[in-house]
Amino acid sequence: MKNIFPRWVNTVPIKLIISMGLLGGGIVAGITYYATPKYTRVGYQPTQPVPYDHSFHAGQLGLDCRYCHHGVEKSSHSNIPSANVCMSCHKNVKANSPLLEVVRQSYYGEDKDRDGQLSEDEDLNGDGVITAGPSVPWVRIHKAPDYVYFNHAIHVNRGISCVECHGRIDQMEVVHHAKHLSMSFCLECHRNPEKALRPNSEVTNLAWSIVSGSHSGSQSEADLEQIHAGLEIKENWGINPPLSCTGCHR
Amino acid sequence: MIQENKDTSADSGKMYWKSLNDYAESPQFRTWVENEFPNGASLFEDTQRRSFMKLMAASFGLAGLGLSGCRRPEHEILPYGKSPEELIPGVPNYYATAMPTSAGYLPLIVESHEGRPTKIEGNPSYVPFGGSTDIYAQASVLNLYDPDRARGSFQKEQKTLAGNTSTRWKKIQSDSILSKLVDWSSSGKVAILADSSYSLARLELVGELKKKGVLWAEFDSVDSISFESELAAKLDSKKPVRAIPKLKNTSRVLSLDCDFMGNREPYSLANSRNFMSGRKVNKPKDALKMNRLYSVEADMTITGGVADHRLRLESSRMKSFLCLLGAEILKTKSKNDAALIEKFSDLGKGTSEHLNWAKICAKDLLSANGKSLILAGNHLDADTHLIVYFLNDLLGSIDKTVSYVTQPFSSNIGIQDLVSSINDGKVDTLVMLGGNPVHATSGFLDWEDISQKVENTVRIGFSIDESSQFCDYHIGCSHYLESWDLGLTWDCTSVIPIQPLIAPLFDTKSDIECLLSMSGDSRSSHDYIQSLFEKNGASIPFKDFLRLGVLKKDYTNKLKVEDLRSYLKENLKPSVLEAISKFEVLLVPDFHALDGSFINNGWMQECPHPITKLTWDNALLISPKMAKELESKFPDIGLLPKPTLLNQTGEIAPDNAVFDNGYQKSPVVELSVAGGKKIAAPLYVQPGLADKTVVASLGMGRKNTGRVGCEAGFDSYPLLSKQDTRVLPVLEIKPTGAYKILANTQEHWSMEGRAIIREANAEKYSKNQDFATQMGAESHSPPIWGKDQDTDLAFKSTTTPRGNSSYEHPDHTYEKSETHGIHQWGMAIDLNQCTGCSACVVACQSENNIPIVGKDQVLRGREMHWMRLDRYYSSAERNGDEIPSDVQVSFQGVSCMHCETAPCESVCPVNATVHDEEGLNAMAYNRCVGTRYCANNCPYKVRRFNFFDWNKRDINQLYQGPMGDKNDSLPAMGKNPDVTVRMRGVMEKCTYCVQRIQEAKIRVKVKAQRHANLATGNDGADLKLSTQDIKVPDGTIRPACQQVCPSDGVAFGDLSDPNSRVSQLKNDPRDYAVLGYLNTRPRTSYLAKVRNPNPAMPDFSDSPHSYREYHDKAYPSHH
Repeated sequence: MKNIFPRWVNTVPIKLIISMGLLGGGIVAGITYYATPKYTRVGYQPTQPVPYDHSFHAGQLGLDCRYCHHGVEKSSHSNIPSANVCMSCHKNVKANSPLLEVVRQSYYGEDKDRDGQLSEDEDLNGDGVITAGPSVPWVRIHKAPDYVYFNHAIHVNRGISCVECHGRIDQMEVVHHAKHLSMSFCLECHRNPEKALRPNSEVTNLAWSIVSGSHSGSQSEADLEQIHAGLEIKENWGINPPLSCTGCHR
Repeated sequence: MIQENKDTSADSGKMYWKSLNDYAESPQFRTWVENEFPNGASLFEDTQRRSFMKLMAASFGLAGLGLSGCRRPEHEILPYGKSPEELIPGVPNYYATAMPTSAGYLPLIVESHEGRPTKIEGNPSYVPFGGSTDIYAQASVLNLYDPDRARGSFQKEQKTLAGNTSTRWKKIQSDSILSKLVDWSSSGKVAILADSSYSLARLELVGELKKKGVLWAEFDSVDSISFESELAAKLDSKKPVRAIPKLKNTSRVLSLDCDFMGNREPYSLANSRNFMSGRKVNKPKDALKMNRLYSVEADMTITGGVADHRLRLESSRMKSFLCLLGAEILKTKSKNDAALIEKFSDLGKGTSEHLNWAKICAKDLLSANGKSLILAGNHLDADTHLIVYFLNDLLGSIDKTVSYVTQPFSSNIGIQDLVSSINDGKVDTLVMLGGNPVHATSGFLDWEDISQKVENTVRIGFSIDESSQFCDYHIGCSHYLESWDLGLTWDCTSVIPIQPLIAPLFDTKSDIECLLSMSGDSRSSHDYIQSLFEKNGASIPFKDFLRLGVLKKDYTNKLKVEDLRSYLKENLKPSVLEAISKFEVLLVPDFHALDGSFINNGWMQECPHPITKLTWDNALLISPKMAKELESKFPDIGLLPKPTLLNQTGEIAPDNAVFDNGYQKSPVVELSVAGGKKIAAPLYVQPGLADKTVVASLGMGRKNTGRVGCEAGFDSYPLLSKQDTRVLPVLEIKPTGAYKILANTQEHWSMEGRAIIREANAEKYSKNQDFATQMGAESHSPPIWGKDQDTDLAFKSTTTPRGNSSYEHPDHTYEKSETHGIHQWGMAIDLNQCTGCSACVVACQSENNIPIVGKDQVLRGREMHWMRLDRYYSSAERNGDEIPSDVQVSFQGVSCMHCETAPCESVCPVNATVHDEEGLNAMAYNRCVGTRYCANNCPYKVRRFNFFDWNKRDINQLYQGPMGDKNDSLPAMGKNPDVTVRMRGVMEKCTYCVQRIQEAKIRVKVKAQRHANLATGNDGADLKLSTQDIKVPDGTIRPACQQVCPSDGVAFGDLSDPNSRVSQLKNDPRDYAVLGYLNTRPRTSYLAKVRNPNPAMPDFSDSPHSYREYHDKAYPSHH
């Protein structure tokens, strides 16, 4: 009886195994690279409803982070400023800029003629107070999963700078996701907090470094100095970052 | 508007909407709808539309799998336009307010997250309650987010087509109804029927309205105060008389059918707190100073569970027993008054079989020298209360352990008078404010007829209920967390504000707002409350008052009473019921639904009744003796399981009359009382009931309620003939042949001689302080501490010594590393303080986002409560498998024990449950894959598995999975944002409220850092903090169960601190670990219970029944 299968079929299994292996390896490699926060999060830079420029406000003008994100030392969240914070300057500065119209709408709300008074016909809901307008729909950039309870207050009060997680916001025209903020990122710092600890007064100084600007030594020397200083802070402040699940997951 | 109508129809119970549902598809109905709403015709094609949407969503979803699925979904952060004061996003705010209850205002502190009230706690500024709340206050926050509440205000529209009447509620503005109401008021023929209230604002407004000729009537579904007015009449007082117990200094209490620590009586929080503080045993010597409770009761209540001596007696015989006891007291205190002694003895003849019990009890009460007290239940008649007053006076208790005062709220006309006014044509506009009078009076009033006789009817109610049926308009009533008010606590000594936590979610009005506009006052309710507060002679500014939440001001007056002897001699008559009754039915407010107002509250429905452990249902409770009688009369009733038989193949054959698929069937019987009134209800055999008492609860089985409560239980209101008799003679009980399956969370009720709960009598404990450690398998096989057996608690908790084990122990505690925790958390539960009130169960549910699962899933044992309350009975020696009648009840709250050598941890294949450095048994939901090994390996059975997406899916459509409907989103507003909402397929359990622990730790560290910074000016390495600075002080962290406990039964804290309260309790000789011999080394341990019986009593036994059972089992040779 004639062979049913041609000769080339003999090599099919090995070819299949190899190609499956390559394919599988490719998928694994792909997932390891692409499906991690390092790839999916870093660089995320959505367009915001108001082109607020951090490099100008926080960098050039030198506004402290806490001027706008004032809840950061007290709360688990670092709040996005409400429109009245913007308007405390922009009532006078660029008061008519079309770019700020969204903010003004949110701020003035029912007060249609924007005179600070509530006239009879403006009070649409009849509650006697100026009701604010719709919120400015800022697009969220940094988001911890729902089962992660990151607390800003404890970090900024205990010598961890904004820059550790958010990068050089003071140099970003449009804010983007700078660090990957995956669990390994958190743990790395929780295991070795000395690499990040700094004096409280420098927490919002994103450009700060242990060595002064005139320092001529190498980066590794600076790192070493940071570790020494960090260890001292860690020891004296009793810094003891949680490493177990309950630290972040509740 | 269209949308709203649809919602309401879906939410309402069956009966009312039956016509609509039946009619929905008929052409006539369509025509009507299409005429009414040309665009709304598609309204009733809801199902098709939904399935279309599903298909579309699925196809979009599939399309999205291509590239667009890789994109990150865009989230928006929406800040305020103008930031409100005092609000920092992420930091909860706390406001003082109060919950209006039928037992006065309950002072509260409510937690609010970004404007959403999420958790209710007691206001500790009100000293009698000490910051505790009852279970209903805990659950009431869910009512705010009840999707089935009246979401606005409505006008009823009726249409009759082809002989069928269809009804629906059209949404209209609440203000328009109110202005109509004001117009109608001008006729001067307005009557308002309201529930009673402790509101001072209402008191004031009612005065205004009465001046305008408004007829004001009051009616409470479950009447608990009318005896106070009757008593006042007998004591020549103009205002109702109230007995306020002061149980703190009381050493002997006799309770006559008085559940003074449970839901049947007011002031139960203060009573539990004060009474149980007299049962605190800090040292073995204190045991003999414990107070003693004698309880004579018909029902088995939690108060009876605490009692040292409990006598089962029918409610109709209470008066007789009281006279029997009174005669004994008179014989000592007033020997010369032979006529009165004779009278009392004569009346007491009906209970003469208990003479000895009464005699010794009376002697003990007398021996306490004015530190004794007699209490009577509020369903007993005024004469009984009068005798109680007389006896308390004789005992010298008045002003020592109880104060009799007059309260400021005078009684108004009742519902009967109102109805006769309506019949006389004096009323053309009827307003039903609050309560649910139609439902509660279904047994004796014909509302069809009444509503015909009045022209306009307006309902002001929380949901569209039975009373709304007979009204033309429904004004949605605001929840108390949306209203302003001012009122008094039950003892009328403190003024409490109600301030809103949130603006009304819907177009609803509070009762004060309605009354204000009816009385023509244009002020807002806030302004009115403020001016009223200031008018009443305020000593502090209104703002401070709101901040404090309590202001002491006594509204009571002392009672002056003439000698009662002559009255008692002449007028005292035996109870009518006693003579005619063979069986009696006792009607009590339901545990789950209270008077019916909590029926649609899922937390309350699913919280097991503390005694019966039934969820989602009520039952007719009967005594084991009556069960036997019924069994012999109706052999097929299937009430008591027959001895197990083997079938032909040798397998155990369950008794088919009693079991269905392994579930015990409850035969449904018809119970009838005089006047042809009857109800059909399932029977449930309850040990501890008086032999001839049937207990039925009021408030369940409502027809017009929401999706949660629509099938819960049966309605007992039809039995009531007049509002003030809650004890009725039973004419007949006969089986209907039907049966019902009841969802019981704890069918097994005996400890079978195991030392799970350890108890001893005070006498024994004072002599043998180590009794708890000498019980159970641990007495032979203690946890393997080895050489470290005798080291202190702090050492044990920080190092987890391995004993003599040769197995090298993995370093779980990081003891050598610098990450070793500075606290070691632990909990001590004092079983001697637990009353079984179950408030902890619901407090935990509220704090930790615990879902409800529904009756069907409870039957499968899938309830999710992290804290459960186990109830055990023990009895004198039993006769075979017969259910005992006289039982002792013991409660034990059980939640995750946070074992140091936790069996759950070692079996988890993915390390989802591991220990943290502070001794918590952590549960990482995001890591859990749902193998359920941990739950299998947990000896305490405290782990709960999310078999379904309880939080996300409608509990009636769980099995449809993603194809089922999603839950209404409204309850999600009440979730605690600090706790993960768990999804399907993960395990969960008690975390010791880890969110509160972490928040406290962060708060302490931040504060220490800032203080040191300010004090020294240093901010770098030169700033020094010691461990003590960043340690959380003892008592700062209070888990939800500890916070709510009215009797201070739970202590939580740091075991590494020898001075913490929990460490001290754990060093108490009564401390023991449940199943300690397993060497699990639980961090939660229990303090053994001490009972304080009177050795002279006829029912005395030298050790508690559970101890006797244990002893017989452990040492059979001694037997």
